[in-house]
This record gives sequence, structure tokens and C-alpha cells, in this order.
Amino acid sequence: MGMGKADESLRSTRLVFYKEDIERIAKILTTFLKNANARCVLLVDKDGHLVTKEGESSTYDMDTISALVAGSFAATKQMAKLLGEEEFSIMFHQGKKDNIQLSLVGERTILAVIFDDKTTLGMVRLYASQVSSKLAELFGEIADRKSEGEKISQEFGQAAKGKLDDIFGA
Amino acid sequence: MVQINFARREVNCKIVFYGPGLSGKTTNLEIIHKKVPDTARGNLTSIATEQDRTLFFDFMPLDLGQVAGMKTKLFLYTVPGQVYYDSTRKLVLQGADGVSFIADSDPNRMNDNIESFKNLERNLKDYGVDIRKIPLVIQYNKRDLPGALSIAELNAKLNPIGVPTFEAVAVKGEGVMQTLKGISKLVVERLNEEYAPVKTAAPAAAPRPASPTPAHGSPRPAAAAAAPAPAGQKGTSVRPAPAAPAPRPAAPAPARPAAALPPAAPRPAVAAPAPLPPAPTRPASPPPRPAPRPAPAPATTPDRKGGSKAWIWLLLLLVLAGGFAGAWHMDLLKEYLPPPPWKQPR
Repeated sequence: MGMGKADESLRSTRLVFYKEDIERIAKILTTFLKNANARCVLLVDKDGHLVTKEGESSTYDMDTISALVAGSFAATKQMAKLLGEEEFSIMFHQGKKDNIQLSLVGERTILAVIFDDKTTLGMVRLYASQVSSKLAELFGEIADRKSEGEKISQEFGQAAKGKLDDIFGA
Repeated sequence: MVQINFARREVNCKIVFYGPGLSGKTTNLEIIHKKVPDTARGNLTSIATEQDRTLFFDFMPLDLGQVAGMKTKLFLYTVPGQVYYDSTRKLVLQGADGVSFIADSDPNRMNDNIESFKNLERNLKDYGVDIRKIPLVIQYNKRDLPGALSIAELNAKLNPIGVPTFEAVAVKGEGVMQTLKGISKLVVERLNEEYAPVKTAAPAAAPRPASPTPAHGSPRPAAAAAAPAPAGQKGTSVRPAPAAPAPRPAAPAPARPAAALPPAAPRPAVAAPAPLPPAPTRPASPPPRPAPRPAPAPATTPDRKGGSKAWIWLLLLLVLAGGFAGAWHMDLLKEYLPPPPWKQPR
């Protein structure tokens, strides 16, 4: 299976998010939630890790939702390729009450919007596309920046191994 | 791909269980789900066919809790083992930080093992990952089968690279946690090498000594020896908490080097207009021109995070002083002050 140029560039770059990044993202997302009147919005990277979330989400199992969002997006991408499309950039799942819309942001992040009948798909879609381009721009900045910022602590490795022994049995 | 989220103080690692169909990948995950303490356990989600064959993947998050100030999670995935699910298998492999290869000890499955291992190598390569470089362990599962291949035979065919290996009988829960621990440790070691501030000490090279460690007990003694750097720590019988919070005094948080952030240019500009009105003592007709307004902005921009407050105060002071001087100059203050020294008395 061939890989695009874009994918190539992703390989080397690891995603590291700093506080300022997330604060800026959060501001964009909060505005979006208010405008679109959606319930909750998540940003998930294509590997299935949650980047950040806004809105009411306490009842959801975020880790699993993120993994599934990334999985179904990846599956859809394969489907697109078989149909001769590069990628489907929007996915929508409709439920009785709650709906979820997934849309691509930049090259490696997915915006998942969970909303109910307080708003409409059109509203969500309209604002989601606006917010996507804003976020894509921001991610571009983040990716371009050399990650010289914070590091994890030197003790991380040892501490983590200790934890592993505790949890998995020595 | 490890995701490090300094805002949420999270480290997320992705570990993928790979191997031929029916070798026991999902069983491994189920056992882990059963054995792990409640505090760490997440939900086990399976996308399976009606016959309980993995269709897309199984997924389970494990929460290790706080590790050196970071909330650390392992995300465990299994791939569908069957040959014709290669495209989904490859999707799941994307961004993996470590791979646990589950091999079947049944002699009749040897070809499937080999094929799956080659498939792993190929798929990793497509993502630009060298199978010799990614954290990898092999589990020889189903050791209780009559006629199971010997470890030597299995090693000869499947483990030319010499990664750590573990024997297991996954259905009975034997060897499962050891395997998970083995791969997890390799992953966090790698993470530490790549992301902790370089202290030069531990030779980052030789991460995988060529000796295939023959299973079960201690995963890879050689490797442990290779990373002796933090001497005392390892022995301190009560490993759990101590390492975490205490000894990271100069921890990351405040030490953020200024260079990284984009200059906070726009914000001060917004702040500027606000303080203007109060400047003149009497709000008389001619609004005092905020004379020195634009000039200082670009000049000062000390975008060190801590300095930005001081900068706003400085700007405020300048504006006030300007307003005051302007008012004085326009004789608005003549009731209170003598004319300013720069003015010729008329």
C-alpha cells in the first residue's frame, strides 16, 4: 500500500503538545461549542490518542471513544482509497438522540463533535469546517516549531518500571 | 507514537499485540483485563465477528497513574490475525510504540508464525519503522500443547534479531503479565531515552543485546545491566511512589525556554486602549492624544512569559505619563501646577 508524501512527513514527527498549544486549542473549541450548540467536542490524533476535549463528556469513556474514532476514520480512509478517493474528510453517525460527526483537521488530527437535537447537522457542519481550518493552521505552527520545550523527567523510566512491577506483579 | 501532552500532563503509549490468527492475542488481552488491578483497568473493547474472531481490533487502556509527574497510560491493541485482514492490521499498527508478537508453539502453525512475522516487518517498514529498532518482544504461547516446538527451534526461526522472549499458556493466564511487563518496560525505556533530558550517562546504544533471553523469569537481564545509571534507585525495595514526585525538583514545568513560544504580540495591543481614559485629571474637551502609544510596543517585546505582565504595567505607566504630560502641556492643569518647564512663559 503506497504512502503519500504527507504520511512520510508524519513518520518522523512526534506529537508533543504544550500548555500554550492546548490553551489556544481550547479557546477555539469553546467558541465552536457555543456557536454550534453541540454537546461535546474531542480532538483525537490518528493514532487514537485524545489530544483534548471540551464540553460535557464526563460520562463517556474517552480513551475508548478516541481509539474507535481513529479506527473508524482509518477504515473509512481505506474505503475511500478503494473508491478512488484520497480520503473522506467527513463522517457522520446518526443516532436516535445523539449524533457524532468526525472531520479531519490538518493531516493527522480528527475533530469529533457529539451533538443532540438541540442543534442541527447543518450548524455543526458549518462551524466545524470553520474551526477545522483554524485548527489546521494552528497545528501547522505547532508542527513547524522545533520541540525544544519541556521534557519529561529523567526519572520517568525508572519510576514507570516501578509502577509496572506494582501493577503487573514483580 | 508516544503522545506527550504537557498540558494534560499525560504520556500515552500504544502497544500492539501482533501474530497469526488464533495464536492468542485476544486471550492475552482478556487475561490482562482480568488480572490487572481495578485502579489501572480500562474497558476491553472488541470489534469482532459473530464467531468472536477479531475483525478490526481489541482495545484496552491501562492507567499506570502518576509516573514522575505525568499521568501515564498504556493503550493495548490487538490486530486481527487472519491473513486477509492485512489492511486493517496495518491500520492498527500505525503509530505503535511497541509490539508484542504472539507466536503459536504448535508445529503445524510454524509457517503462519513466520508469515505473520514477515508481515509485521513489512508493515512496519511501510510506516518507516525498522523492526530491529522498535521495542519488540515475542511470546511463545500454548506451551502446554503436546508436541509444542522447543524454544530453541522457535528462536531459530522467529527470533534472529534476539529480542526478549516469554513462554506462555495464555488461556491459563501463565506468562501473560510477564510478556506485558516485558514490552512495557522496553517502551518506557525507549521513551526515557528519547524524551528525558539527555544526561549522557546511559549509553543509548545497545538497547537490545543480542542474546535471546530464554523466557519466563526476568525479561532481559542484559539490558538491565546496560542501563545502570540511576544506581541506587532500582534496589529500593519499595519502588512505587518514591521516585515519582519528590526527586524532580527542577522538573519541566517552569523551566520552559522562552524561545519556543510564539511572541505574544497581539494581546498587549488589545490591552492598551483600556487604561487611557483615566489619564487626565479632568476630562476636558480636547482628548489628550495618547502620544507615545505605538512606539514602545515592538521595541520592548520581552516575550519571556514572566516578563509579559511587567511589560503591560510599563505600557500603562507610559500612557499615563503621556496623558499627564499632554494635559500639562495644553494648560489643562494650570490651576494645579505651574506651566511646564519646556513651555516659554507667554
